[in-house]
Amino acid sequence: MGFLAPGFLLGALAVGLPLYLHLLRRQSGVPRPFSSLMFFERRLPVAAHRRRLRYLLLLAARIAVILLVALAFAEPFIPGSLAGAGPERLLLLVIDDSFSMRAGARLDAAKRSALALVASKPSGERAQVLLLGAEVRALTSATEDPRVLRAAVEGIEPGDSRASFALLPGAVRAIGASAGAPLEVHLVSDMQRTQMPPSFSELAMPPNAALELQPVASGAAPNWAVESVTAPGQVFDLRTLRIQAVIAGYGTPAATRTATLIVNGRSVATRRVAVPASGRATVEFDAPELPYGLSRCAVRIDPADLLAADDEYLFSIERAERRRGLLVHQAADTRSALYFSAALRAADPSAFVISPVETANVAQEDPSAYAFVVLSDVAALPERFSARLADYVMRGGSVLIALGTAAAQQPRVPLIAVPPLAAHAYSRAPAGFAAVGEADATFPAVGRTADWDGVRFFYAAGLPVADARVLMRLTDGTPLLSERRFGEGRVMLFASGFDNLTNDLPLHPVFVAFVDRLARYLSGSEGRVSSHVVGESLALRSVRDPAVGVEVIDPHGHRPLSLGASTTAESLPLTIAGFYEVDFANGRQDVIAVNPDRRESDLAPVPRDVLALWRGAAAVPGATTAHGAPRLRATAPYDLWWYAMTVLLAVCVAESALASRYLGTPREGP
Amino acid sequence: MPRFLDPAVLSAISGLELVAKTVVDGFVAGLHRSADFGFSQEFAEYRAYTPGDDLRHVDWNVYARSERAYLKRYRGETNSLLTLLIDASNSMSYASGAVSKLDYARYIAASLAYLAIRTQRDAAGLVVFDDELRCVVRPSAREGQMHRVLAGLERAEPRARTRYEAPLEHVQGFVRRRGIVVMLSDFYATPERIVRAAEPLRFRGNEVVLFHILDRAELEPDIGASALLVDLETAERMEVNAEYAARDYRERIGAHIEALGTRARAAGLGYRLLVTDAPLDAALREYLTVRQGRD
Repeated sequence: MGFLAPGFLLGALAVGLPLYLHLLRRQSGVPRPFSSLMFFERRLPVAAHRRRLRYLLLLAARIAVILLVALAFAEPFIPGSLAGAGPERLLLLVIDDSFSMRAGARLDAAKRSALALVASKPSGERAQVLLLGAEVRALTSATEDPRVLRAAVEGIEPGDSRASFALLPGAVRAIGASAGAPLEVHLVSDMQRTQMPPSFSELAMPPNAALELQPVASGAAPNWAVESVTAPGQVFDLRTLRIQAVIAGYGTPAATRTATLIVNGRSVATRRVAVPASGRATVEFDAPELPYGLSRCAVRIDPADLLAADDEYLFSIERAERRRGLLVHQAADTRSALYFSAALRAADPSAFVISPVETANVAQEDPSAYAFVVLSDVAALPERFSARLADYVMRGGSVLIALGTAAAQQPRVPLIAVPPLAAHAYSRAPAGFAAVGEADATFPAVGRTADWDGVRFFYAAGLPVADARVLMRLTDGTPLLSERRFGEGRVMLFASGFDNLTNDLPLHPVFVAFVDRLARYLSGSEGRVSSHVVGESLALRSVRDPAVGVEVIDPHGHRPLSLGASTTAESLPLTIAGFYEVDFANGRQDVIAVNPDRRESDLAPVPRDVLALWRGAAAVPGATTAHGAPRLRATAPYDLWWYAMTVLLAVCVAESALASRYLGTPREGP
Repeated sequence: MPRFLDPAVLSAISGLELVAKTVVDGFVAGLHRSADFGFSQEFAEYRAYTPGDDLRHVDWNVYARSERAYLKRYRGETNSLLTLLIDASNSMSYASGAVSKLDYARYIAASLAYLAIRTQRDAAGLVVFDDELRCVVRPSAREGQMHRVLAGLERAEPRARTRYEAPLEHVQGFVRRRGIVVMLSDFYATPERIVRAAEPLRFRGNEVVLFHILDRAELEPDIGASALLVDLETAERMEVNAEYAARDYRERIGAHIEALGTRARAAGLGYRLLVTDAPLDAALREYLTVRQGRD
């Protein structure tokens, strides 16, 4: 029998305490005075003998409790034996199918090794095939049929995910708990160093599992890869487009590589780049020609190593026309349009253009021609335009209404047709004005509350907040920014103006970011990125888009979402490298580029001494695998912890019964 | 039990004289109400009248014949000599309730002294002893004797061990007139030794009464599962268990009481077991019985 934590056996020394209490302490209680001991005698032999015997039973129970507690903490086990192990042992074949296994013939070697293990498995012994990637997946259930196991192994395809060895112990523990049998785990992998967790303790296998490592890579292999590409997700002016790619070498000598920019399958630019030994180099592509709409792009280097799959980095760019926004203002308001337009130009001069229109001239405008509409302190709207605006919102359009001093005095707020609440007038005197007190950080246009430090509000209209989501509040709790859904569209209310009169917001840097992000949000072009990494999740809908179908086509041309999932799924895990085509719930279409995690490109293996440490026990002499490699672990320990705890429970119950019976308070005499 | 014969009630009364008066008054009142017990009215002798005597007791027939006044004296009215021996050793300090054995002995001694001196006009004396004599008040009927006896009782403090031989030998030296010797002790000694020490007093014609005073917890000890007992006189420690206390100890002390009573009576000594939770009238009755029997 062995112990996983033998140090706890020192706790057995605590048996001295009950020994002292029971045998060494002879006095019982406080001495009581008595007239004379003339008629008393020291304990008669029969009574004394009886008392000592009873107390010894209690003493034995208490000593047993202490010894069993120390034994349980020491985690006892009985080493088993692989040779001649009974049919109850479960063989786990874990094959690494991470991205790095695409290098050379590693995956084929892993499959051959797994098939050899299946062939050498004793008949009647159960086995199970698992894949180690972004998660541990079972390809089969525990089965004795080698044909099932072989078919599963032969059907393994290379993956794009990044694996971590830290996932293995947890999966083995779960399988062992359900199987109720000792496990023999064979990990077939290239033992990539980047798959090791930060803490070695995360690799600890459960005591009923024996681990055998089957490396399929002989050593480090040099590898170049396009490590990353920096490109905007959306471009309006090609003159501003810059694409940067980083070429990395892992265990490589210094070399010059050729990088090619590919747009929609066509090579548009080539650059030569000198990559230092095991270093990185940046290559830049300027102003490539892109068609309007979504383009599938890639940066590729010439192949020169075993892992060709990372020689290309995919990304997508949407070229869009400059979006137009309609800003309706009062004739007397000459500043809000100026400030609003200037902020948008400062953020990205190519993204948006604002068309300011006075209230008196807005009747002919068609809101549907604009990406969003801003009503800046508008007192009243022509009825015809109001109807068009309402229809525009119902069909998915977005409107921002700024309630200044004029709009706040109207009987109803435009579009939502409810009266505004009482306005708040603040002083311009120091400490008399209001500031932003709360900001909903989940709303991207708002930013952080700290970004609004220094912005002073002198006037705030009373926003009706029924059925609205309040996104910002002033320090006195007054709602500053709210959002309402109407049909497919939205209406946002801002309780102040953009005219530098009701507040000094336009004078602060946060105004530019606020207006830019707000415009992108209203126009539906917020936060598009050019590429993702395998393992990330893609948001398909927000909670504001219920029960609208989403369509996804993965890089293999398959639809990963069922009909039911397409109306309810809120996100999609990106598991395959390539381009996904997505129709989002809000009607937007997109092409999502997904690349493997470039940590898989570093093919350096785990050092042999670290692997040996992970293995644990010494090899059994003479025992070999089907390939002639020595078996590195010959014992499958049998955990005795549960037995110790069961006996401990029984002894505790017995001790309680004995103590209650022998040491209980006697009844008073008559 | 009459309230003022309850030792627990008496323990709340301060002053031995008051305790004694309370006890005796209550006792006497009970005697007068009792049809079974009373002072004997059997004629014993005449005594010459002295100024101050109660005229109700003058035999007028004799006066008519002789023109001399004589008082009739009845049995129980003759003067006697009472000597009280109090054991004040450490074992007498034991108490399981409100009254210790020594306090109980004090109450009895005070009551007997009061009964003897104030009611019976007897002479009474006091000897307090442990392993030697601690206090001696020679029997007397003089003025102030009651106070001297009570003062001796109040000064008695439990200490030392018990030794009967030397004190009783000393008592023999000053008890010259025949009388009644009352010995109050817990008698933690062999019956032979006790009777051997007390018997010589009997030879002088004295009536000797042994009042064996014990606490209820000494007769029926309740010590729980086990206990460590300490002897109040020897300081010896002994661990005893409940089974022994419930069975063997009670048998042994019962045998000791039986043996002491038997040997005492066989030696012509009076013997009575008094338990400290019992009323005091038993002791007073015993005294009067002995006194009347002696007469």
